[in-house]
Amino acid sequence: MGSHGNNLFGAVSSSVEAVTRPSHCDAISQQIRTFIQMRTNLKVVDNSGAKRVMCIQAKSGKYGAKLGDTIVGSVKEAQPRGKVKKGDVVYGVVVRAAMKKGRSDGSEVQFDDNAIVLVNNKGELIGTRVFGPVPHELRKKKHLKILALAEHIV
Amino acid sequence: MRLEKCWFCSSTIYPGHGIQFVRNDAKIFRFCRSKCHKNFKMKRNPRKVKWTKAYRRLHGKDMTQDSTFELERKRNQPERYDRNMAEQTLKAIPLITKIRHHRLQKHIADRHKPGKKKELERDNKELEQDINMLPKKVISKAEPLKMKVQVVPPQTQENLMEE
Repeated sequence: MGSHGNNLFGAVSSSVEAVTRPSHCDAISQQIRTFIQMRTNLKVVDNSGAKRVMCIQAKSGKYGAKLGDTIVGSVKEAQPRGKVKKGDVVYGVVVRAAMKKGRSDGSEVQFDDNAIVLVNNKGELIGTRVFGPVPHELRKKKHLKILALAEHIV
Repeated sequence: MRLEKCWFCSSTIYPGHGIQFVRNDAKIFRFCRSKCHKNFKMKRNPRKVKWTKAYRRLHGKDMTQDSTFELERKRNQPERYDRNMAEQTLKAIPLITKIRHHRLQKHIADRHKPGKKKELERDNKELEQDINMLPKKVISKAEPLKMKVQVVPPQTQENLMEE
């Protein structure tokens, strides 16, 4: 079943599950599939104005944030006229994670990239639209607004 | 609970197995095991990878059209529960799988038939032509089968020495 990275919980500092052997197929589609921790760049998938956020802190989790968790981030790249500017410290909810998340029926889901949706410290969305697929793990975390705005729920 | 099909090899994915990969265009790829998942990450086309069902069906190795496949066709409308129908379906499933299995084996056997025939012809021809390559003991034993046999003269060395 979920061989959830057998060495991940052993490592203390950086838990990179990347394929370290250089192979011909490596660079193409080997997303580093690990927790979302400090310095992790995430894509912003709402219309709040930010484009890229760097994680400063994972609000929960000893090793980092997973799918559905909240993080604190610093906006690294933003659209000129948006609700957030570059350098702002924002909260975000992880809606897509490259690391696989186990579900109660035994299956595991993983997405193509790491993506967040910006939220204020109370948990309310900053943007008004959400792009791309979102997992239904958000329902358990009570992020119902995100699910309501989502294009596709997985 | 739904039994899914692996995107790469088309085998059934039972609960608790495999990984679902969701692409950003919301297309879901389900894999039965890491072998299929890794092949997918390598961007291999399942229609070109010999051990997958996709390849086998494409190249006529496996049966493609048969009435036994109708049972497993995905129906997006859920059926209203009917006890009799459920009972009959449950009885039919093992029967239909058995029939499909037999038909598949027959399909494969039929596919092998012309090859087997050719192999037999080749073997007969080889026996006919190269019988003298066999040791004398075997040839003498085979005589009752009425085969053309070349008798090797026993004093070859003396003949050579004479010459």
